[in-house]
Amino acid sequence: MLRFALTRALSLALSLVVASVVIFAVIEVIPGDPAAYMLGMNASPEAVEALRDQLGLNGSIPERYISWMGGMLTGDFGTSYTYKVPVSELVAQRLNVSVPLALYALVLSTIIAIPVGLIAASTRGSVADYGIMGATQLGIAVPNFWFAMILVFIFAVTLRWFNAGGFPGWDAGLWPGLKALTLPAVALALPQASILARVMRSALIETLGQDYIRTARAKGLSRGQATTRHALRNALIPVLTIIGLQFSFLLAGAIIIENVFYLPGLGRLIFQGITQRDLVVVESLVMLLVFAVILVTFLVDIAYAAVDPRLRKPR
Amino acid sequence: MIRVEDLSLTIGEASILRHVSFDIAPGKVTALVGESGSGKSMTAFTVMGLQPRSAEVTGRVMLDDRNLLDAGEKQLNRIRGNRIGMIFQEPMTALNPVKTIGDQVAETLLIHGKTSRAEAHRIAAEKLTRVGLPPDRFPLSRFPHELSGGQRQRVAIAMAIALSPELLIADEPTTALDVTTQAQILDLLNELVDESGMSLLLITHDLAVVAGMADQVAVMKEGEIVEADATEPLFRGMRHDYTKRLFAATSHQPQRSPLPPDDVILDLAGVVCEYPGRRRGLFGRSDPFRAVNEVSFKLHAGESLGLVGESGCGKSTLTRAILGLDPVQGGTIDAFGKRIGPDFPNALRSGIQVVFQDPYASFNPRWRVERLVAEPFHLMPTPPADRRERVAEVLRDVGLPADAMGRYIHEFSGGQRQRIAIARALITRPELIVLDEAVSALDVSIRAQILDLIARLQAEHRLAYIFISHDLSVVRAVTDRVMVMKAGEIVEAGETQTVFNAPRHPYTRQLIAATPRIPEDWQEAKHA
Repeated sequence: MLRFALTRALSLALSLVVASVVIFAVIEVIPGDPAAYMLGMNASPEAVEALRDQLGLNGSIPERYISWMGGMLTGDFGTSYTYKVPVSELVAQRLNVSVPLALYALVLSTIIAIPVGLIAASTRGSVADYGIMGATQLGIAVPNFWFAMILVFIFAVTLRWFNAGGFPGWDAGLWPGLKALTLPAVALALPQASILARVMRSALIETLGQDYIRTARAKGLSRGQATTRHALRNALIPVLTIIGLQFSFLLAGAIIIENVFYLPGLGRLIFQGITQRDLVVVESLVMLLVFAVILVTFLVDIAYAAVDPRLRKPR
Repeated sequence: MIRVEDLSLTIGEASILRHVSFDIAPGKVTALVGESGSGKSMTAFTVMGLQPRSAEVTGRVMLDDRNLLDAGEKQLNRIRGNRIGMIFQEPMTALNPVKTIGDQVAETLLIHGKTSRAEAHRIAAEKLTRVGLPPDRFPLSRFPHELSGGQRQRVAIAMAIALSPELLIADEPTTALDVTTQAQILDLLNELVDESGMSLLLITHDLAVVAGMADQVAVMKEGEIVEADATEPLFRGMRHDYTKRLFAATSHQPQRSPLPPDDVILDLAGVVCEYPGRRRGLFGRSDPFRAVNEVSFKLHAGESLGLVGESGCGKSTLTRAILGLDPVQGGTIDAFGKRIGPDFPNALRSGIQVVFQDPYASFNPRWRVERLVAEPFHLMPTPPADRRERVAEVLRDVGLPADAMGRYIHEFSGGQRQRIAIARALITRPELIVLDEAVSALDVSIRAQILDLIARLQAEHRLAYIFISHDLSVVRAVTDRVMVMKAGEIVEAGETQTVFNAPRHPYTRQLIAATPRIPEDWQEAKHA
């Protein structure tokens, strides 16, 4: 198991190096001089040249790659052209919102989906099953911003239990922070939970048809015991895959929800970075997201191995 | 101890079991024999109360004085695994892959609330030792994927006998296993019956297994018991037609007259096939695994050559090399005078065709039969203009109506599918057909028909066969020469009758001894 984890960790590191080269190369070939852009139309060539020096845009390509990577590794992501503050500072603020939001939504989605999928699979063909399948179909079809607006209408406008938007910051305390993230997390979680519940249901139905379930029943286990003791863990592999994919999506793909609830999250930062051609920000964020995706994949791999002993041998 | 009375079972409109009655006597082996679809497995499931939920059951299954068909789910759960244990055909999939064997055996004890966790594991170790998996060599922490098929079946048996049930139901327990493993598992079951006084309900399609094991036999056909008696009288008597037919099909010898020797069409010299070793770290690998080691033989036109050996002996790897599917790591293979390799001409390649074991999995389910059968034409430089006529002709040749062309593969039975597979092999008018376990998945009566077909086609088209099988009796019936393969090497080769009558290599003797057979004098009595 440890060897498995180490081999996976090594392949994680290699993937990161490859990704960084690709990102760096793409940013290199995008036309336009960031220094000229930052100083505006009327800047003198000398001023542009001076800024280029300051931004580290002069020098050979390998030199710049190494200094960029070196900066990344030491936490120095460079300075944003538009905000004129260190990117690391910007990103850190946004991560403080986006990571808790993504985790919150993911936990909600998993807590809803696994029991719902379990109920649907073990009562397959019943009214409950049809009801769940219908509801999840709706959950997938309806866009999450629509859920968001309904939630705001019910819980913020009518009942006044939550604020309609904004984020007080974690300095205000854990509870106010969580409270501000609750409606966005629910809006994000509902479609994800619908997908996950359907995956759970079909994985479980397939597992329940396996020979070892019949063996378990022949040993004297009831249908329910066979499901929870033997089928559940075997059905988790596809569910883990989806959870991994969903986390990566939730981290960066929450831009619409961030806008609806006026949250200062990563999605909005990326959007602003792109529209304002703030390449330092874009470059750093893309690298960060790639890192997050690869890290999640690594964690999912480890989770697979924890669930299924057949996957523990290094491939 | 269990009495099945007038048991009938229907699913929707289909009548699966009809008025089935038999007794299972304490401490005895009772066998249910029949072909697939005869209802023998369904009978066993119904005794366990594990029939499909949509099934309607009438009659009685009496355990002591209680009718199990009236028992509630809770009562049945207390009986299953406790008083009646069951093992199944497919040991590879019968165990939960994510739980250790110790936990799975101990679960039988724990679920019935008999013991503490520690005690359950102690008993599990004891039972695993009893079935031949002592914890010093097979720790309780092993997972199923670390064991072979035979070992997994032993684990399944340990699970089933953990609480010393009064009855063990074994549903085709050895069908998926090699003959030597089969012999070991059957011996183990026999010993368990002898030492514990347990009853055994043995469900099988194999009359030879029954002859060696059972005290009582019931023969099933289409959901009915057509004949039941003590084993020896049943074999000597064979009162019912179906029993006779089943018996005849089991020992069926197709009519064939060996063709005179002819040119060599296939020549293997020192063939070596290796698989890369397991990865070690990032770049290293352990030594490659040698699946086929220095195999040499010649095959003549019109000859029928058998290749026998257990699973993992290298039969399939050798087959793939002959078909040119995988490169060889040493030696040479020549077919029709040309070296098999990337440059082997397609026109000659159409001279070698293959029929695999699973008649369903080897067809694309979305193609019509016409396209399936015509597929090998792509090997020819120009597909023949009379493509449809050629397809119709080979279908006729294998005994299928011409209108089969427009249908899909799922519309055919197992035997018909295998006929279609043979038609596909015949379409290019090859000289050599490799039959890789081509009849192993078929019921005995269908198998007899296919063997006849294969023999007839050989005579008509002057075909050479390489007949690969783990079933010695089939190989004996249809081949001129036979090779015995073990651990990648040919350990014995010669005329089929010579090898079987006077085996020289100890491994060949072991294989022949492990093959279950019906005692000669029981058969003589019938023929007299």
